[in-house]
Amino acid sequence: MAELTLSGVCKTFGSLQVIRDVDLQIEDGEFVVFVGPSGCGKSTLLRCISGLVDITGGTLEIGGQRMNDVPAAKRGVAMVFQSYALYPHLRVRENMGFGLKVRKLSKPEIDRRVEEAARTLKLESLLDRFPRELSGGQRQRVAIGRAIVGNPEVFLFDEPLSNLDAELRVHMRAEIAALHKRLGNTMIYVTHDQIEAMTLADKIVVLRDGQVEQVGSPRDLYYRPANAFVAQFIGSPKMNLFEASGLPADILQTARPSAAAIRAGLRPEDMQVLGAGEGPVSGRVVNNEYTGAGSLLHLDLDGLGRCLALYNGGDSPEEGAEISVGFDTGRLYWFDAQEQNTEVA
Amino acid sequence: MTRFQSPFVRICWYLSLAILAVPFVFPFLWMLSGAVKSQTEIFSPSLSLLPQTWHWENYAEVFRYQPFARQYFNSLYIAVVVTAGSLFISSLAGYALARIRFAGSGLLLLMLISALMMPEEVTIIPNFFLMKWLGLMNTHMPLILLPMFGSQGVMATFLMRQYFTALPPELEEAARMDGLSRFGIFWKVALPLSRPALAAVGIITFLFSWNLFLEPLVFLSDIELFTLPLALSNFTDAYGLPLWHLQMAATSLAVVPILIVYIAAQRQIVESFALSGVKG
Repeated sequence: MAELTLSGVCKTFGSLQVIRDVDLQIEDGEFVVFVGPSGCGKSTLLRCISGLVDITGGTLEIGGQRMNDVPAAKRGVAMVFQSYALYPHLRVRENMGFGLKVRKLSKPEIDRRVEEAARTLKLESLLDRFPRELSGGQRQRVAIGRAIVGNPEVFLFDEPLSNLDAELRVHMRAEIAALHKRLGNTMIYVTHDQIEAMTLADKIVVLRDGQVEQVGSPRDLYYRPANAFVAQFIGSPKMNLFEASGLPADILQTARPSAAAIRAGLRPEDMQVLGAGEGPVSGRVVNNEYTGAGSLLHLDLDGLGRCLALYNGGDSPEEGAEISVGFDTGRLYWFDAQEQNTEVA
Repeated sequence: MTRFQSPFVRICWYLSLAILAVPFVFPFLWMLSGAVKSQTEIFSPSLSLLPQTWHWENYAEVFRYQPFARQYFNSLYIAVVVTAGSLFISSLAGYALARIRFAGSGLLLLMLISALMMPEEVTIIPNFFLMKWLGLMNTHMPLILLPMFGSQGVMATFLMRQYFTALPPELEEAARMDGLSRFGIFWKVALPLSRPALAAVGIITFLFSWNLFLEPLVFLSDIELFTLPLALSNFTDAYGLPLWHLQMAATSLAVVPILIVYIAAQRQIVESFALSGVKG
């Protein structure tokens, strides 16, 4: 069993507190993704779990065992690095078997495990090459292979796809998802790409300034964000936020937000862009970004300011066109003065 | 020079380069020529590189005049020991300065760098008294210890430190995840990856030790213990005047290891000078 429990985990570097009192429960076999903006502490938290960074306070348990002071190699975790971190002077075979050799496994056993992992990742033909002779995707697969051979209980991925081009990233994303299905191990994955987080995760942990903002399934986070930060971070393009006082009275009457709500959120995909005078709020198109299937419109709405709207179809209004927008009141989110979602307990 | 240049331009280029090479190549050829000339022919008005009479016996005379074979061996073994020792010490010290956080590491590095600024000649008198106090006068130990722990050792440590600093830390983290100890990481990951720096430090140190003159002059008095640079200055007649033909023959022999090292590791030598920021 490889469930993880983080209780009050803190990490400080000198006077700088990078991780603040993180409580988290990760179940055996779960695929958990840490997301958040740059500098939010997601990689540091992963490194605390790996043992590469010592925890300053709190407790980390893996499989029920306290791991705070256990060396990285003895925690039963394996890590895949953003830069792959393959040893340049060793061939693929030696790279994959390096950890096993350090653990003094017999050569036949090392060969067996390396070949088995190579079969799983379709690396058989590359085993005698050096890392410099591989493409980015192949290096990534070797890095994953190196993690697999040790039969770890927990896999840790630190932004493993960020050095790959867009097409390869989509392909590798699918491979990692398939690998999780096949191996069934607990996997913790760090990314700043929320599409990666949404597509891979059983559970997403959103971090900001070293604190957990919300934990939940991708759907939970998308449909029931705990606060304005999560609401804006999850979903692309990001959610629009409006001052509630600027909304037309009939929308407020229909939506009936709680008294505490001072801001309203609406996702760009839920904005209805209509012709001038057809909707309750009028405005104009500031910029039209054509995306093929549709357009992303940058709008300037009277009394509400700038916002984004997704427009499906090819006949989107041109830059400078006068438009109006309609609000689907059922899709509005309401946030109080502390930016908390007033409809989520 | 591009390969699309006309043959005429190319010939002009080669001609200019050949003329420029004369001041560098001529002394070397003059040395080889002088090695097989008689003392009087060297000073004859003719500047011919080819001797009128070939005196191959000059080479034999070099070995009869003083224990040249022994001195050659002295230089060779000292250079090898100094190179091996410097590589061992500088790689360990350089790694510690690059990767291990300890109190005062910044200050220590600053002190090492300041030591690079100090000319070696300045320290020769305190070193003389130190070696005398240690009872190491007229032994090879000063010639081994001073380059290893003196300015050359500092330079080697600094070069290694710079190289280790540039190695991606993720490689060492991956090695930690694989279960290696700090020394294991140094030995199995950092050191094999620093082969270019080791080659550079090895070459620079070997050349430094091979050419060392002041230290043998100060610390050695027994002719059997002399190293080559000191032995070369010892081919003199009864009046202390140089025996040029023997000096030329001995010098021709003395440059052989350097030539071998240079031919074998030409690329690394150029890289090493680039790496160290020193001129050759």
